[in-house]
Amino acid sequence: MLLEYTAGRLAPGEAAALEAHLESCARCREFARSQKMVWQALEAWEAEPVSLDFDRRLFARIEQAPLSWWARLTGQVMHHAVPVAAAAGVMILAGLMLERPAVTPVAPPQESAQVETLGPEQVQSALDDMQMLRDFNHLVRADSAEPRM
Amino acid sequence: MEKRVQRDMGALAVTLDYDAELMLRVKDGDGASFGVLLEKHRTSVVHFLYRMVQNYAVAEELAQEVFLRVYRSRESYEASAKFTTWLFRIATHLALNALRDGKNEKFQERLDDESPDMPARQVSDARPTVEQKMVYQVRLDEVRRAVATLPEKQRAAVLMHKYEEMEYSQIAKVLTCSESAVKSLLFRAYETLRARLAHMA
Repeated sequence: MLLEYTAGRLAPGEAAALEAHLESCARCREFARSQKMVWQALEAWEAEPVSLDFDRRLFARIEQAPLSWWARLTGQVMHHAVPVAAAAGVMILAGLMLERPAVTPVAPPQESAQVETLGPEQVQSALDDMQMLRDFNHLVRADSAEPRM
Repeated sequence: MEKRVQRDMGALAVTLDYDAELMLRVKDGDGASFGVLLEKHRTSVVHFLYRMVQNYAVAEELAQEVFLRVYRSRESYEASAKFTTWLFRIATHLALNALRDGKNEKFQERLDDESPDMPARQVSDARPTVEQKMVYQVRLDEVRRAVATLPEKQRAAVLMHKYEEMEYSQIAKVLTCSESAVKSLLFRAYETLRARLAHMA
């Protein structure tokens, strides 16, 4: 309490009570006197003004200061997040476009579809037609080979 | 951002000082609030460090490091204590490290010889005589020597108590010790100072 008293930080009521005690206590009175002297001596140690370029130097250091590995990592990730995401999006889109023909089946020619869908009856009919055409050709050749009178 | 500040404040169920609110704004990306904090605390931090290490160049270098750390720690800042408690904890930590690393080892030489890079000391009297200047210089050197002889934690406690007008509880938080430990530190420190400076009465 004596330290706070000599520092002038006691409430008025407390200070008055302590001063009443000091009237009757030589030991506390001597303590308070010597402590006040120390306080005044410390008061005499006046502070020096801060350099005018303190802030400029500080902000220069803030801009140049290396970050911790975590801050550097997160900072780089955040710094490059947008361009990286954009690049990834473009690559995905390009990939989808390149893959598209392979994914979508190419439409086969119409004829192939018809061949693939020919039934046995149609095949037999085609063979019959070819046989009929051969027979017709044979008859024509036979007619042309007979001697003319 | 205001909501964020209010939510943090409510969650902590404490009445935050304005500095802590400013720091939360810095955390939210408000660089101007960092400028306000710097303007408000620059001088006290530099002076505290100067009286700790008693070397002006080292003190400013350390103060730069203090504010650099404050800025770089903004993302992880939690307003769980007074801003100045956090600020002076960083400053004290750096000062103690500097003292242990011997960064101010030239200090003793400068006490004996006038330091060329030390700013001109201010004297209270506007027009002191040569004799008054000499007396003041002698008394000032005695005070500086007396403070320099204190153990580091005692020194930090006295400087925070005397010049920063901190209460025991806040000094205890800065030094991460109990209030009774702070009272003990201060009692022993002032006892030493009374013994060394008694003749100045």
